This record gives sequence, C-alpha cells and structure tokens, in this order.
Amino acid sequence: MSVFNRTGLDKPEARVPQSNLPRQLTQESAEKVTELSGDDRRGFLKRMLSVSSGAALGGVALGGMGATKALAELSSEANLPPNVPSWTRTLGQGVLTKPYGEPSSYEKDVIRRTVPWLTADTISSISMTPLQDLKGIITPSGLAFERYHAGVPDIDIDQHRLIINGLVEKPLIFTMDELKRFPSVSEIKFLECPANGGMEWKGPQMEGLQFTHGMISCCEWTGVKLSTLLEEAGVKPEGKWILAEGADGSAMARSIPIEKALDDTLVVYGQNGEALRPEQGYPLRLINPGWEGNTCIKWLRRLEVGDKPWYMREETSKYTDLLADGRARKFSFVQECNSVITSPCPEKPWRAKSGADKGEPSTGWHEIEGMAWSGRGSIKAVDISFDGGVSWVNAPLKGLVISKALTRFAYRFKWDGEPLLLQSRAVDETGYVQPTLAQLREQRGLNSIYHKNSIHTWRVESDGSVRNVQLG
Amino acid sequence: MSNSGKYFVGTGLIALALLSLSACDTGKQQLGDVASTATATIAVIAEGQAGSGIQYGFGRAVTAEEVAGWDIDIRPDGQGLPPGEGSVEDGEELYEEKCGSCHGLFGEGEGRWPKLAGGMDTLTHDRPEKTVGSYWPYASTLWDYIHRAMPFTAPQSLSDDETYAITAYVLNLNDLVDEDFVLTRDNFTSVEMPNRDGFFVDNRPDVSNPRCMENCKDPASITIVESLLAATSSSDVDDVVDDVVESNVTSDAAGDNSVTESAGKPVYDSACKVCHSSGLAGAPIPGDAADWEPRIEQGIEVLYSHALEGFQGESGMMPAKGGHTQLEDDAVTAAVDYMIEQNP
Repeated sequence: MSVFNRTGLDKPEARVPQSNLPRQLTQESAEKVTELSGDDRRGFLKRMLSVSSGAALGGVALGGMGATKALAELSSEANLPPNVPSWTRTLGQGVLTKPYGEPSSYEKDVIRRTVPWLTADTISSISMTPLQDLKGIITPSGLAFERYHAGVPDIDIDQHRLIINGLVEKPLIFTMDELKRFPSVSEIKFLECPANGGMEWKGPQMEGLQFTHGMISCCEWTGVKLSTLLEEAGVKPEGKWILAEGADGSAMARSIPIEKALDDTLVVYGQNGEALRPEQGYPLRLINPGWEGNTCIKWLRRLEVGDKPWYMREETSKYTDLLADGRARKFSFVQECNSVITSPCPEKPWRAKSGADKGEPSTGWHEIEGMAWSGRGSIKAVDISFDGGVSWVNAPLKGLVISKALTRFAYRFKWDGEPLLLQSRAVDETGYVQPTLAQLREQRGLNSIYHKNSIHTWRVESDGSVRNVQLG
Repeated sequence: MSNSGKYFVGTGLIALALLSLSACDTGKQQLGDVASTATATIAVIAEGQAGSGIQYGFGRAVTAEEVAGWDIDIRPDGQGLPPGEGSVEDGEELYEEKCGSCHGLFGEGEGRWPKLAGGMDTLTHDRPEKTVGSYWPYASTLWDYIHRAMPFTAPQSLSDDETYAITAYVLNLNDLVDEDFVLTRDNFTSVEMPNRDGFFVDNRPDVSNPRCMENCKDPASITIVESLLAATSSSDVDDVVDDVVESNVTSDAAGDNSVTESAGKPVYDSACKVCHSSGLAGAPIPGDAADWEPRIEQGIEVLYSHALEGFQGESGMMPAKGGHTQLEDDAVTAAVDYMIEQNP
C-alpha cells in the first residue's frame, strides 16, 4: 500500500487515556476470576482436576505455574478427538441450578466496558456494548450499554407511579398494573447515546470497536404508545411540548415536541421479552425511536404537557452541539445514519487464534460483517471500501431490515494478505448517505462532542491485525 | 375527546420481500453483486390501534398535592419557581459546604468534575470552556438543576431558599450579579445570560455526501492518522487475557485468596472518593487523624460492618457499601483498609 502517505501523529491535542485499554481488559478479566463465587471456583478447580486425572497426570503437584500451564495444554488436547472429552464422561448440572440462566463461563470476556478517564465517577458515567461479540440485531439486555447520571435506582415496582400533568384535560396518576392494562405494542428499535464516537472528533484514540461505537444497543421494547396515554389524559390545544422526567437521583428530564410524542414515542416496561433491566429504567422508561438516547428517560415518573420547552440542563449545557463559530445546535434529536464494520475489527483481527498457525494472518475467505442504523428510518443500502474510499462495492443487507433498528450487512471477501483501509458507508431510506469525517468537520469544527456519524476506517495490516485510524 | 368506541381490529401483514441465494466464489471483484449471500428481508407491518378514541378509564385523577410534590421543573420564563430568596453571601457559605469539594471553591472544577465559572469568550477556541457563565443560555436551568439533582450525593435535599442562594452565588462566580445581590422569584427573570442567543434549532442534515462508487478520490491524496494510543496492538488482547487467567488459576489452586493492600485503592477511587475526599455527608477524610482516630478505636470489625451494612451516626450517614451494592464485601473492606492506611 505504498500509495498511502503515512503521516505521523499530527493531532497532538487529542486526549491520551491514562491507561492503555489492553491492560484494562486484562485487569477486568483478572477481577472476574477473583470475583468467582465459591461454587464457581470449586467448579473450575474440579474441572481442572478431573482433566488431570483423566490425563493420568498423577504425581504432578498443582499450584506451580509450570504445572498449571502444562495442565492447560494437556486439557485442551485431552478433550480433542480421539480422546473422549471430560464433559462427555461426567454429568452436568440439573435443572434450576441457576433459576435465572447466564452465559457460559467461557464467554466471560463478553462484557460491558468503560473508559476510566471519560467521567469523574462510576455513578455518573457510561459503559459500552461489546459490539465485536454480537452477531444479531438484538442486544442481550445484560450487555446493553449503560448511562447513568446518579446511578441505578432500586425501584419497588409496587410503589412506582407515573403522573401526567400540565396542559391536559384530566391530570392522571397510574400504577404499573394500570399502565399494563393499556393495549401494548412491541417494537425493535436501536438506542444510541449521541456521544457515541464523540471521543474521536479530534483524532483516533480508541483501540477497539467497543469504544469507538459501543454506546448503542438494539432491543425489542414492549409498552404503551405515548399517544394512547396522552389521548387518555386529553392534551389541550396549546400543548406543544412534553417534559419527561425520571425518578432517579438526577431526576433526568428532557423536553420532547408533541409531534414526536404523538407519532412513535413509546412508554415501555418490557425489554427483550422480560421486564426492563434496572440499568435500562425498571420499571418504566420512554423510548423515542431514532432519537438521542438521553431523551429516552429512564425510571419514568412524570410527563408534563406544556406550551414551550423547559431548557433543562441536558438540553442546554449538555446535548447541544457547539460549532466552530461559537454557536450551538439545540434540540438535535435525530441520530443520523451510521454504520461500522464489526468483523474484522481491532478485537477480531484476521489472525489465527489457535492451531498450528496461531498468530499468523488468516488469508483466504472471510465474511466481512457490520451494522448500520438510521434515526430517520430504514437502511436502504451499505457500501464497503477496501482502499480508503477510492472505490466502493455494495454489501448486501442480511436478516431483518427494520426502521430505526440495527441492520446487518455482510460481504464475502478473499483476502490475500495485502493491507486494507476498510470502510463502510450506509444509505438510509431518505437517501442520506453517511458522510466522511472531513465533511462533518468542515461543517461543525472539532468541538461538537455529539453526533459524529462519519464513515469509520479500520486499517487491516498484512499481519492480520486491525487498527483504528482516520484518513486525512 | 370523543368516546365513540370505534376502533380497528389490527391486521397483520407479512411481506416476504426478497429471498435470493447465489453461489459466489470470487473476491472483491464481485462489484455490485447484491445477491452474494442469502438475503431475506421481512417487513412486518402491523396496523396499530392508536387514535381509536377509546377512553379506557385506567388510573385515577391525580391530586394537586401529589403533583406539587413531584412537579419541580422551572422554565426560562420563571414558570415553576417557588416563593423564596437567597443572597450571594448565604450562597457562598452553602456552596463551600456542599459544592466546593467537586466544583472547586471558585467554580473551577476539581478533577473531572464540571467547571462552573469562567471560560468567557472561549466558545470559538480550540479548547472551549463551557461553563454556566460562558455557555448556559438561561439562569432557570441552574436553579432547576441544583434543586433537582444537587448536591451529587444528596439530591433534592436543598430547600428553596438554599437553592436561590447557591444559584445567586454561582451567578456571582461568573460575574453576572454583584456580591450584595439577593435572588428572588420576582427578580429572577431579570438575570440575563451572556450566551442566551448562542443557540439555534437543529437544521441537519448539514452535509451531503454523494454516493460515488468509482474513482471517488485520488489515492495519492490519502493520509493516515494513526491512533494516538496504539502502544499495543489490540489483537494481542486475547493472548494477554489468557495469560492472566492462567496465573489466577495458579494462585487459586494454591489457596491464595487474599486481597492485596493496593486492591483498596481502585475501589476507593471509583466508589468512595466522592464523599470521603471531601467529607461530604460527614464522611471521614483519609489522612485526617481527628476524623479517623475515634473511629479506629472502635475496632476494625466495627468499621467493616458500618461500611458493608451502612451506618447512621451523629455527624453523618454511611450508606451500605456507599451505595455501591454491586461491590464484593472483600472490595469494600479493602477500601476501608486503604483509607486507614492513609493516616499518619
């Protein structure tokens, strides 16, 4: 790829995290093991021991580093053909061992992660979805990114109430049971923090997909259309805005135009078939499909109808987009069309993970996969570039194509080991084409923080590693 | 609102729009081949029943008293402001007690906590400082937010008069009112913020990217800006993780479950520091012997138990695990140990 001029680090103003992420991941994994409950630990040891006896390892003392490594190597072979694996020769756990199931212990690294320097404290902070490990459009509830301004409240559903007041004919108060009597809808919609990708306006600095794009999730939400509740209360003609307010310690509140409220806004209590997770607003939250995640008020306790917006902190100090000329956009609700390649990515390089060629580049056939989404409707098409945007090919969509939901795309590609500048570019039903970062910067400068939906670039090296870069 | 009882029975319409399969064995030469993989697009159109005009009669009329307890929002035109007043002078004392440990005594912000004052005329700079004075368009937002969400560790604990006073002081820190100013409901809307005309309603899309497919730019013009980190290739993460898991199994097998001394510091930093670095809610400050000695005298088990289960004392309140109930007990006690170690 000699056609590319490699410039050095010409963006010194971009912020360098205080710790490198691989070390953080490492620490988290270590903590996970340390945090294993007694039963899990015993189970782990038992498995190791059963492997050792099965492999006739008697006499080798456990506990030494060398022994453990030898054990680990033996264990991987002891379960491979022609040997009969340990799990085939023993019984597993019975029903209700875990009344609420959880992922396999071997999926322990598929977890939410955060970047420590982003916020002052974990109580008012954000974590990211591990997009690199997700293959469908539904984000498992326990992996959906978190964003709190005052931590997760522990709300007793029997003591939770929703009040509708303000410019309505009948101010009302509902219990959760009463809300669940209204006709319900279930819709699959993405939910994205407008700061997704916002750490890279000035330059690339994140080492993985989870950190460049992980402030997004996509779930099936079940609840009542807000229009149904507003019809029940009777909005007065002068009612033009809704204030939605949460019951958490930040009493998070946002102003929503009545047009959106009467269009597709949902008041939901269900997520992926079960009750909302506490992290996602249990027992009740707002979903404004396609709009800034911050407007989708969690732990929803009150809806007030008014004739003007309220100008809360999160629609003035925050979630406004400062432009280069010193002016700022307000009420920038829509999450514009975006996409990213999820395989390969820095966490999923094109290098063999095991076997004789471990660590070697995986040349040959690959299915390049990714996600696209638009707050303005359905994804119409996605294009892929291998050369940093000089030429593009169409990548077919696959699976369900739903308005304002994550949409998958894929492209089969035979890699010969040459370096690539891999990009994806989505087009939505309005004809809007995902822009380049240069185009966004030209319009907005470098200090917008929010709404960075530009084409993303992965540099695939000839050794199969994948790195986050930006193109000048 | 009519109550005609008229409604539609929803009809579900499933359209199987496209299902195509094609074998494909070439690489990126397959330009524009939309059928390179199985594609199934299923559009499910469910006709809803919104707008049906039904009055379901669920819930009940909310009382004015119930609304009054929760309806705390304040608008720029002053709607929602309760009667009351507060002076800059009173606000300074309250601010130093309740706000300064995070926001700095002069609103400069401690660590990564928000800076509240200064930054005038920096919005066009490379590093703009967006403070109450330099950026916020309305003073009502300040009153509303302080009242609904501050102090961080004790939201909705301030009285109306206290909120007026702290609001007045933060305005004074930004040179927007004099030091003898008294903020009241009546004079509230007379406070004008410098950046009140600095905002405009969303006008996106603001960029238009043509869907070019070939020769879209000169390859020689492309420059690559590397990640500023890139110290370690992320592709090595899996290997590193594997190594660490192995070494932990080793220590586990050896029966070594002890938590090291340093284990307390990250817990302290993420879970305890907010209150314990500042003394918020009566929290003892590490290194302050007068704070700690009487507590240490009670014995370490008492300290552990108060930290784990919570404690209401004369000088303040410790929530169970500081409110971080997800923490393992070992982590909390390690943080207690760490705090004690900071004493001379």
